[in-house]
Amino acid sequence: MQTIEWGFLIVNYLFLGGLSAGLFFVSALATYLQEDGEPAYPRIAKYGAMMAPWPVALGSFLLIFDLGNWYRFYKLFIVFKWQSPMSIGSWLLLVFTGITFLGFWAWLPEETRHRLFAFLPKRLAFLKRFDVSIDAWKRPLAMAGFPFSIGVGIYTGVLLGAVQARPFWNTNLVAQMFLFSAFSTGTAALILALSANRKELDFRQLRFLYTLDICFITIEFFIVLPYLIHGKLSVLAVQEALKLILGGPYTLTFWLFFMLAGLLLPLFIELWEMAPAFFQKATIHHNKPLASIAAALVLLGGYLLRYVFVYAGQISAFK
Amino acid sequence: MADTKKKRYALVLDSKKCINCKACVVACKAENGVPVGKFRDWITEERRGTWPRLMATFDPEQCEHCANPSCVRVCPTGASWQRADGIVLVNYDDCIGCRYCMIACPYNARYFREDLGVVDKCTLCAHRVDKGGIPACVETCPSKVRVFGDLEDPSSDVSQLLNTRRFLVKKPETGNGPQLYYLL
Repeated sequence: MQTIEWGFLIVNYLFLGGLSAGLFFVSALATYLQEDGEPAYPRIAKYGAMMAPWPVALGSFLLIFDLGNWYRFYKLFIVFKWQSPMSIGSWLLLVFTGITFLGFWAWLPEETRHRLFAFLPKRLAFLKRFDVSIDAWKRPLAMAGFPFSIGVGIYTGVLLGAVQARPFWNTNLVAQMFLFSAFSTGTAALILALSANRKELDFRQLRFLYTLDICFITIEFFIVLPYLIHGKLSVLAVQEALKLILGGPYTLTFWLFFMLAGLLLPLFIELWEMAPAFFQKATIHHNKPLASIAAALVLLGGYLLRYVFVYAGQISAFK
Repeated sequence: MADTKKKRYALVLDSKKCINCKACVVACKAENGVPVGKFRDWITEERRGTWPRLMATFDPEQCEHCANPSCVRVCPTGASWQRADGIVLVNYDDCIGCRYCMIACPYNARYFREDLGVVDKCTLCAHRVDKGGIPACVETCPSKVRVFGDLEDPSSDVSQLLNTRRFLVKKPETGNGPQLYYLL
């Protein structure tokens, strides 16, 4: 009997894991790019590094909570099965989460760090020896985290795509789709964070984020489109599976809320924001509410993409 | 002395003999203590046409104990495993209940045991087979739909049937190599 085994907890996890991967990737890029020996986009680098650990930590918690026996989750880490995307993903997630927390530590302002250690009870005072600056690790951590952020971003798609029993998923395009959606949501979260800050906005940094997000959304769009075309030209089971979003129960969510509101609309808003820069002017429009709406829509789109794929995929089957 | 000869267990089913009495379903539940609402085997019914020109077919289904089982491949802890004789089993102690195997099974042959937090499935009555017996569903079938045996043994009933009759397997396109053979 076919049942929906993976529900909202898994949708949330796939979204949150991807969000962290995107946050870290963009932050690492901003750390890596330098001007006169200083990070070229310091605020993006800092915000990204400070935000990256939390979604993936929450997502991993949801993932463990979804297990039939949550206390057995450690069994994932006493074996490595290279043929199981979940086994590969668990290890990637473990290393990636570790790196994001180290990155957070490296970017934590010194006073905040001292204040955190001041909370330690006397019995744990020996831990104070860890109250040291790992400032110099920022770039090496960014470099080490690059492959793992890409790995975590892409594995969520491989997890679904590697299941040959579910024709809706069984194409390698799902992996790429999830990866670029992950990067896009991470970028959008940074646009939101930068826009929410009351400090004077640095147009150069915002322009960098817009450029990245426009690239990510465009790539994502040109992965979703071939996914649909391939599917329509594929074997019968895949054509049947695609009916779930072409007239079936997920049509409205996919086309109106994901494709239109979550992908194309924010793309156009961001393009409009960037328009002056296209015509040789250094500034961008920067309409704060509009930028926030575009970013929120990207996040919504990323969430709905995972919702549609997790649910529609589980319904699809060979006849 | 232990029997070291290579074995490959399979089921051959003559669906045309099935009368949908569901004795196999009940026998399996009784033998294996399958919880209420869950099934290790079931019968798919198909009806066509209108009276007086009509037909009904009944296909008994269960785990296919595939040659290349995707459930075993995707299991992250190795709890889903396959014996040398082809029987696919779940080691409850290693199952974390992620249910990836349920999603990866093209035959939807697995179910989740909420009470234990693990995934469960047909064992081909390995506990009986290891003592030289046959699965409960095979033993109980009143119309002799099911034939159980060793494909490595050319004189076994299953080998003889597959050598002399036409048959099909379900969803071969998934590449799992199902080991339930349906006679035509």
